Amino acid sequence: MENEKALKKNKMGMSHAIQRQQNIVSYIFLLPFALFFIGFVLIPMGMGIVTSFFNYKMNAFEFNGLTNYIRLFKDPVFLKSLRNTFVIVITSVPLVAIFSLWVASVIFDKNSTFTSVFRGVFYLPVVMGTVPVVVVWKWIFNAYFGILNYLFKALNLMPQNLRFEWLGNKNTAIWCILAILFTTSIGQPIVLYIAALGNVDKSITEAAEVDGASKLRTFWMVKWPSIMPTTLYIIVITTINSFQCFALIQLLTSGGPSYSTSTVMYYLYEQAFTYYDYGYANSMGVILAIVIAVFSALQFRVMKTDN
Amino acid sequence: MEIKKNSVYSVISLIFLVLIALLFLFPFYWIVTGSFKPNPNAIPPDWIPKALSLKHYVKLFKQPAGIWFFNSVWMSLSSMALVLITSSMAGYVLAKKRFSGRKIIFSLLVCAMALPKQVVLVPLVRIMNTIGLYNGLLAVILPSVGWPFGVFLMKQFSETLPTELLEAARIDGAGEARTFLNVVCPIIKPAFGALAIFTFISTWNDYFLQLVMLASRNKLSIALGIATLQAEMATDFGLIMAGATLGALPIVIIFIAFQKYFTNGITMGAVKG
Amino acid sequence: MKKFIAILLVALLALTTVFAQGAKETATTAAPATAKTEITWWSFPTFGLDGATEAELIKAFEAANPNITVKLEMIDFTSGPNKLTAAIEGGAAPDVLFDAPGRIIEYGRNGKLVALDGMFTSELKADATSAALLNACSDGTTYWMYPQSSSPFCMSINKEMWEKAGAWQYVNTEGARTWTTENFAKAMEALGKAGYVGLNVYCGGQGGDQGTRALVSNLYSATIANADYTKYTMDSPEGIKGLKLLLDLYKKGAIDAGMGIVAGDELQLYQQEMIASSICWGTSNAKNYKSDAYTQFVIPFPSEDGKPALEYLVNGFCVFNNKNDAKAEAAKKLIAFICDDPTYGPKAVKATGAFPIRASFGNLYEGDAQYELLAEFTKYYGGYYNTMKGFAAMRTQWWNMLQFIFSGDKSVETAVADYAKASNANL
Repeated sequence: MENEKALKKNKMGMSHAIQRQQNIVSYIFLLPFALFFIGFVLIPMGMGIVTSFFNYKMNAFEFNGLTNYIRLFKDPVFLKSLRNTFVIVITSVPLVAIFSLWVASVIFDKNSTFTSVFRGVFYLPVVMGTVPVVVVWKWIFNAYFGILNYLFKALNLMPQNLRFEWLGNKNTAIWCILAILFTTSIGQPIVLYIAALGNVDKSITEAAEVDGASKLRTFWMVKWPSIMPTTLYIIVITTINSFQCFALIQLLTSGGPSYSTSTVMYYLYEQAFTYYDYGYANSMGVILAIVIAVFSALQFRVMKTDN
Repeated sequence: MEIKKNSVYSVISLIFLVLIALLFLFPFYWIVTGSFKPNPNAIPPDWIPKALSLKHYVKLFKQPAGIWFFNSVWMSLSSMALVLITSSMAGYVLAKKRFSGRKIIFSLLVCAMALPKQVVLVPLVRIMNTIGLYNGLLAVILPSVGWPFGVFLMKQFSETLPTELLEAARIDGAGEARTFLNVVCPIIKPAFGALAIFTFISTWNDYFLQLVMLASRNKLSIALGIATLQAEMATDFGLIMAGATLGALPIVIIFIAFQKYFTNGITMGAVKG
Repeated sequence: MKKFIAILLVALLALTTVFAQGAKETATTAAPATAKTEITWWSFPTFGLDGATEAELIKAFEAANPNITVKLEMIDFTSGPNKLTAAIEGGAAPDVLFDAPGRIIEYGRNGKLVALDGMFTSELKADATSAALLNACSDGTTYWMYPQSSSPFCMSINKEMWEKAGAWQYVNTEGARTWTTENFAKAMEALGKAGYVGLNVYCGGQGGDQGTRALVSNLYSATIANADYTKYTMDSPEGIKGLKLLLDLYKKGAIDAGMGIVAGDELQLYQQEMIASSICWGTSNAKNYKSDAYTQFVIPFPSEDGKPALEYLVNGFCVFNNKNDAKAEAAKKLIAFICDDPTYGPKAVKATGAFPIRASFGNLYEGDAQYELLAEFTKYYGGYYNTMKGFAAMRTQWWNMLQFIFSGDKSVETAVADYAKASNANL
């Protein structure tokens, strides 16, 4: 009787005995990571979520249910921040993914020094870190002596006595932030795409070309499916990074001018560290997390190949 | 050798690429040359430094910059090593093993990545303080290992593993550990390379986490240390640039060291024949 | 299998070395015997960036108090406040903090500090150069901060540039150099006509906003807050008039409104002679942005009646309530030593480059004309509203308001009304 039960297949098509063994093995493999994850991510995450339902300020801590959340949706600055956040995400994610894929496709199969050099160059903004990147771009965008204005004036595209503030103009500020975000975001995807493209099964590619398929068709039919897991990773990560874009804004524009570069992340930070309204900030974090999770789930849906 | 059908496309794209690459190279060039200029903020700027000076580096090392540098390196290396081990194991089973609860666990990971760090940081300080690790390098290293990005990356890479290979190994009588080490790891080597670099850099650049966890002068990371050298309204650009150049060094070294794992030519053809 | 064990060993080794280092750290900090009290002191770089003055003070203090050891940590102005917030919320606050009333009184109001009422003796009150400075240390009922020094904020102008533009005639070079709003407007227009930028009303963030607040409020003697510090009052007719004047000058091209910059950038522009004046000048900025290429002439803010109400900073200490009486007492001893000791007190004040709270410390900058001028300015200190409730929130509303005004998004009246409403909502 016992043996029959053990041999019966379960939902996943495995017999119970094997399922048990697989479970045990899997959880053992997961254990090392789980220790760190639970202790240093999950528990504080839980604390953060719980306190979002409290009136949690520097000198107050009392339960107030959904008050923070209701306040969020009546807050014009939050709504503006939400809109800005979406603009950043929707613009940067496709741009980053497409551009890095294109760059990777051009350089991955060349001479290895060539590939390494270019891969390194595109990774440089990441290597430099946020503060130096901000220092350089602030200098580039400077209204008085920045090189951008200098170039425009030299090419007679700007009146000589105009000191245009790229970061101080509510229409251009967010595009400046996007440009900088772009430069710091493509490094990782390019590295990953090069690795993924290099991993594509050569024999199938050759077979397709021998069969007379054009380069573009080979790419679409053979390479694209192979690199799909990488693409999914890149899209999800770039989305999350764009949603959580913060240091740039804090150092360059403080969310202005006129809240035109205020994102949910920045507003969250402002609430927590300037107004000491931790409960409200945490509720913002939870809403942001839900939005990101929904976005990611959608992306998984659309791009999932198996399981 | 593939027949390059569209050579015009190749040439144009290469030119375009070189132009953009120059654009990317510029900020880095600016920072590095600036760190050697006595007055990097001079107007008009000198594109090619006329006078060279080491005074920013001297100033940096008069401070415990050596210690800060070491702290940054140590924190990044440690988290890198730990992440490689834990993420590869977790990513592998999430990708290839059908075990109960895997969907829930993966969703949990995605949610954890989605929640902004600021929300997690203040409770984290409390936890670190309770277990006595606050104001220590471990307070930065341990949470870095817990971020799920590494696991996610490894999972995606492990998905490209041909299941037939794993089956073949199992039929050959290899246990789980051996399969993992001898079959899986060699194949996902490019992922190891990428993850090593990403983790190193991400821990190195994780300013906010370092900020809230490190207080003592001799425990600061290099970025934090340089920030303490800035007066209230005066930014010492030379110092920042020197620190950035210094900081870029180990990253470039790690990058070069792990690059060889990126080379293709993995024996995907092992299944045939 | 061998490989697996090898890797496991390496991992274990890595982990143990990592943990060993952690353990070593905790071991050394646990070493002090029960008789000694150890306190931590977090210091903003007001004494200087390298902590040398702090170290000297600690050495002298520990020599006089062998049962107390002091651990010093330097924090910077950019990220230090965030660090403090995280530490306080995470239960890891220091014992002593060297900072300014703005943050300190907020912490006190929120119950994080130890009350220092006992330190405000009649002797101190008699020796203080101004009662306003002592008032800055309390939230109205309790004293939370022990003051050490103060320094006025003022303007600085490029003498040669002003002369070239014909604006120099409007400057009063006598005594405390006070001047009128009328002359200010004329000077700015002259500078604009000559092709210079008179000044820059920076409003890209909260860095150095005391400069813009001082400028706007002094023009027609408006006040940021009312006399008993219960309301933010920039929406008064005088306030609106002052803002309108600046907006008018901006439209005429005489001044700039930097919506993407803060004080640090403005000072840099001033030092590089790209703008003719700075509105965020003070003792430390004079040091950091000195230039020998031109004469930096220090003047107070213009006002309609020639009597400015200057902003100023106050440096002082506070003690955090870490539920440890011994530490609190030791902390109080430390700050009393630094602020009151007849030898080290003046030394410490001189290191900040500011002026002592205590009249008994005398004139620390004998013979320095610049400093003597700034000392004159201390007569014109305005009220200190930085300790009002919701001050931090008000600061954010302030620079946002300036942005709305100069970009034309809101009329002056609407912008100020919104600012006042939002700021007063936080009270």
